[in-house]
Amino acid sequence: MSISAPEHPALLTVKGLSAYYGESRALFGVGFAVEKGTVHSIVGANGAGKSTLLRAIVGMMNRGRAAHTAGSIEFKGRRIDALPTEEIVGLGVTMVPEGRRLFASMSVEENLVCGAFLPRCRGALGETLEDVYSLFPRLADRRQQAVSQMSGGEQQMVAIGRALMSSPELILLDELSLGLAPIVVDQIYERIAAINERGVTCIVIEQDTERAMRVAGAVSVLLEGRVVLEGDPDELGRDRVSAAYFGLETAGKAAGQGG
Amino acid sequence: MNEDLYWTLVDIANGLLSGVMLGGYYAIIAIGLALTFGVMRMVNLAHGDMLVLAAYLAVLVLQFVPISPFITLALVIPVMFGVGYALQRFLLNAISVQSMERKGMSAGFGLMSPILVTFGLSIVIAHALLGGFASDARIIRNALSYSAVRLTEDLNLSTLRLIFFVIAVAILIALHLFLKRTHAGRAIRASADDAEIAPLMGIATPKINALASGIAIAIAGVAGVMVGMSRTFQPFDGPVFLLVAFGVVIVGGLGSIVGSLVGGILLGITQVLAGTYFGPSAQLVAGYILILFVLAVRPQGLFARRR
Repeated sequence: MSISAPEHPALLTVKGLSAYYGESRALFGVGFAVEKGTVHSIVGANGAGKSTLLRAIVGMMNRGRAAHTAGSIEFKGRRIDALPTEEIVGLGVTMVPEGRRLFASMSVEENLVCGAFLPRCRGALGETLEDVYSLFPRLADRRQQAVSQMSGGEQQMVAIGRALMSSPELILLDELSLGLAPIVVDQIYERIAAINERGVTCIVIEQDTERAMRVAGAVSVLLEGRVVLEGDPDELGRDRVSAAYFGLETAGKAAGQGG
Repeated sequence: MNEDLYWTLVDIANGLLSGVMLGGYYAIIAIGLALTFGVMRMVNLAHGDMLVLAAYLAVLVLQFVPISPFITLALVIPVMFGVGYALQRFLLNAISVQSMERKGMSAGFGLMSPILVTFGLSIVIAHALLGGFASDARIIRNALSYSAVRLTEDLNLSTLRLIFFVIAVAILIALHLFLKRTHAGRAIRASADDAEIAPLMGIATPKINALASGIAIAIAGVAGVMVGMSRTFQPFDGPVFLLVAFGVVIVGGLGSIVGSLVGGILLGITQVLAGTYFGPSAQLVAGYILILFVLAVRPQGLFARRR
């Protein structure tokens, strides 16, 4: 391999990313790259910095002195780390936030249409909406229903659908399984695979390490704000990922990069 | 029919009618306050002064061009929209809870700052008007001041009040459709529901807040011209209208357009009927008793949206 730029530059490249909440530091020089068209899992214990990492990518940590970041985040070769969230979303990155965070006063369809606020999305709104309904037929039957009256799984579908309405190239999924029954989680991840097949790159945060490894083509293990292991989940194997998750393996990062 | 009973019924009917008419105009005094609070979680203590400012703006226009006061709205609405937009974009956004937290200050500071700043703004506007127009009571003259619509021999409706009611209802319907049917309107509601998540839809919340504030102050401007046409006003009258707006919002509940209309009508009827039976001095007291009653029985307001 020559020293020049790789032939297929990554869709998203994070380098030396640190994040702070006031005086306390949540990320310590995190770096990783996400290839176009893949599902990339980020695993780690509670408080390892997973959600902070996703929030930083979509610009939700650019909040002045109280919460801020250092380091660089590149999307399609362009620095996005200083941009406000709405501009990052405009470029084609979005997030399904932890806890779904639907607009509680609105119906299913209004929530979805809100997702297409960007001028570039408004023209094809009808088609995108039908796309989302074909992906989640259950939502089509309930378009006029208030989201507050829906089950957790259905709400998660609305949250994913709402994110898809901005026609993203990269979608960040923060703990989709939170508070859902295992069978519902299976259905949701089956839909994520379908979304990925349509060419949308996904970054997944998942508590269930086994599931995270099963759905992803690449995995990064976060421990106390640092990436301690990364690579192809099949090559790494469950034991090494678990060991890294609990902080038992710290020298694995270099080994994992071979794949 | 017994003549006493007949006159009692006429009194009540007249009271209800003018109460309803008054209610429409109370509703548009209040809707801006409700909108600002619903979206930005900010109380604009200069809201009443915005009404008075708009009334003086109409006076100023009429000094130069003798047109119908209703036509001054063509200037008052865009100017007041601009005032509201700029106020939010360049002043209030900088001191919101979010931006205070961003600067590393406590959320409490962010809640307090807009109250202090808009209180100061209220004083500045009142004194600027005093400097520009002196303290004489003014009224916006118009051809309809003494005109009435006769419904029956004994039931009359002030033409002006009827027009105001129609305008008020039209504004509320337009606002409802705007919030429900347009991308910008939905963005305003999205920001009200969850200001942190709205940017993930591509919504630039500082601009959307400014838009909401512009609309709120533009509607306050319409209300101000109406106030100026139906009663005299002075530079320091702002707080009177702020209290009316608070009353309507408390009775009707925050964040509901229907609530503002019903709250306004209830307050209007209460005041007019109290005025009919207990004299003009009872009007304000009766209004406050209604407000106290609602606060005691249903503090979230009669039409509060569930959160």
